[in-house]
Amino acid sequence: MQTPSFKGTHLFDRLCWAKESLNPVQSDIRIVFEDAVDECAKILVPDLNWVAAAEAGGVLPPVESYWALAEDEAKPDFVKHTRGYLLHDTEPVGPMTEDSGPYGGWVNYLIMKDISPSIWQTWDEGNRPKMVICRKEQLPQTREWRNAWRISDDLNLAA
Amino acid sequence: MAGTIAADTLTHSTAGSLGTQFVVNGSAKAWVNFNGTGTLAVRNSLNTSSVTDNSTGNYSQAYTNSFSAADYSICATVADNSGVNAQWTYESVSTSGFNYLTADDAGSGYTWTDYASNSATIHGDLA
Repeated sequence: MQTPSFKGTHLFDRLCWAKESLNPVQSDIRIVFEDAVDECAKILVPDLNWVAAAEAGGVLPPVESYWALAEDEAKPDFVKHTRGYLLHDTEPVGPMTEDSGPYGGWVNYLIMKDISPSIWQTWDEGNRPKMVICRKEQLPQTREWRNAWRISDDLNLAA
Repeated sequence: MAGTIAADTLTHSTAGSLGTQFVVNGSAKAWVNFNGTGTLAVRNSLNTSSVTDNSTGNYSQAYTNSFSAADYSICATVADNSGVNAQWTYESVSTSGFNYLTADDAGSGYTWTDYASNSATIHGDLA
């Protein structure tokens, strides 16, 4: 389905249109990351309606809009957002696949939106990687020892 | 947007009137339903970009349209088919998401636990 021209339309209205008009996309992509030495690996699961909107294009704002809001919220005197227009009035991002389109695909976009920059900006600068993109079936299928999961040193996990 | 009706008031034929700001302000702005067991899976949602499985009984929901402030209302449920011990709470609320925690309260203390049926509904003002 062709996405209407949404520039200037409130993001929430765009999301409601996407939910009503697009078929959900249940992706098997998982992003595994470690953000603290003493904590187990975390697993980010893309939302099925969000992926549909990302692949359709013309719905989601540029990821830089989220960074700007995060900067505002990090300020000590933050009370409420005053630059929400960045989500609504900026030209929406075009269609993305997992690994192509703006930002190199929606997986990269989602990493830069929902994972701390301290992880994705330096994911491979330590003794071993602290973030891996993989498929659902590559994860351990049991929850046993869940709180001790670490990222394997085997980089072949990368999708 | 096509199909838009602009109105400040909805009037029922006999039951009176309601300002449309009540509808706008009172509607949920985000919700999610997910399976926290095995490999986490999101069943359905609105205004959610991802759910992160942080550890047993600990998840993060991220919004696509951030809230204007971190003072919004979160209502969640967790279903325990085996009894009535399932509990939930939350932490780390920001305008872009929050952490959802689930535990088994067996009477002698809480144990963080994954459950198959988890849902959260969020009311508040969007950015």
